[in-house]
Amino acid sequence: MQLSNLLDKIKLLTLSIVILLSGCDKIFEFSPYEANVKEECKNTTAKNLHLIKDIQIDSDTFKFAFVTDNHYHYDNLKTVIEDINKKPDVLFVIFGGDIADQALLKEYEIFYDIMKNLNKPYLTVIGNHDYNSNGEIVYKQMLGDYNYSFEFNQNKFIIFDDIVWESNKKPDFEWLSTQLTDNNKYKQVFVIAHIPPFSDQFDGNMEQTYKSLMQENNVSLSIHGHIHIYSFRNVYNDNVSYLTVPWLKKPTYCIINVHNKTFDIELIEL
Amino acid sequence: MNNKGLINLCIALLVFSSAFAQDSTLVKKEPWYRPDYATIQFAGNIGFISLGIGYQFFNNRINSEILYGFVPASISKTENINTITFKNTFPVINKKHKIITTTLITGFAVSYETGNNSFVKLPDKYPDDYYRTNAFHSTFFIGAKAHKDFTDTIIIKGIDFYSEIGTVDTYLWYAMSQKINPTKIFSLSVGVNLYF
Repeated sequence: MQLSNLLDKIKLLTLSIVILLSGCDKIFEFSPYEANVKEECKNTTAKNLHLIKDIQIDSDTFKFAFVTDNHYHYDNLKTVIEDINKKPDVLFVIFGGDIADQALLKEYEIFYDIMKNLNKPYLTVIGNHDYNSNGEIVYKQMLGDYNYSFEFNQNKFIIFDDIVWESNKKPDFEWLSTQLTDNNKYKQVFVIAHIPPFSDQFDGNMEQTYKSLMQENNVSLSIHGHIHIYSFRNVYNDNVSYLTVPWLKKPTYCIINVHNKTFDIELIEL
Repeated sequence: MNNKGLINLCIALLVFSSAFAQDSTLVKKEPWYRPDYATIQFAGNIGFISLGIGYQFFNNRINSEILYGFVPASISKTENINTITFKNTFPVINKKHKIITTTLITGFAVSYETGNNSFVKLPDKYPDDYYRTNAFHSTFFIGAKAHKDFTDTIIIKGIDFYSEIGTVDTYLWYAMSQKINPTKIFSLSVGVNLYF
């Protein structure tokens, strides 16, 4: 009798714990290094590319936002997302990498949950931090390809993985070059990569290759994060502009206003 | 985030508690290394299944365990995850019932992971201080255990069933420094200790 009473108590306790925890994503977690991305969070890039395809505009002019280097500044990410939500003329968001800091699945999940509140599509490029631990696998599962491109309103956007040290591979310049060959079909070409070519991780050869590819293929703007500060200039005195956007240690981001053959940049500091 | 300090504190506590191991074993007149119990745990961020041995120190005020935890690739969706964990459990309040004793427990563990792109020493390709080690994580937990002594058996002298709610240092730091729903960072573990 005593034993069955006690078993009832244990059952009740277990049940209440399970109910208490049912708000979380997983009741049981086995390791911070796990990479078992939930089914509903998979293929985010592909889903968002579909959403972008469905956006119809009847003007040459449009805006997109560039947010980057979250690491663990989730509150500032939320603030920025809320601000972008209030701007209907910003049609989509590109996130410039360093989604995570240690690249744990949990960090990716917190990011994903915050981005769910964005009322427009978003795309991402992988950052160096995102490759740590099992981040490479988590990124692939949750977001998708490291290199991809899309077209919007006769403009081409190329998303390029240029991480060297953490990825243990050289950037795939051959792929980038192939993507750039049809540049004359578009009004403008935008290349987005986490690390700017003039920063660490790029040796002289790589910098030269990147610079030449941009120069020779009429790229209007090369957009980056990684160095955590704002800079916008013609680094190599050619026709290519290089933009680096500050990290989210403060709630800051950029809006790129795309016109017919030109663009301008707005730095938003909240 | 001051993970390093936290880990150092944990290690210091471990060394401190081990230093007293000889005292308690002297009383028992058993070899100092003979564990007091064996443990098996499911989940808790130290493995899918973790197996270990445990020692009771300071008149059972601290239970220290060394565990090996394993997550098979089929569950981790990456490589197999191998984790070595030093776990310290502190019984807070005991309540004796007729045949069993229930105890509120709390504690922490320090885990070392081998493989899965984790490192202790920063690989040479990085400039100094580019990253901190990512091979260690601490976990913190609170839970309950039910203990029953067996008086009529020779090998197994008692058994514990326990359950804990816990989190990882990194997650806890994020939940404290950012507005993150605390339910997002906690998860459940269950385990059994067998005393001999």
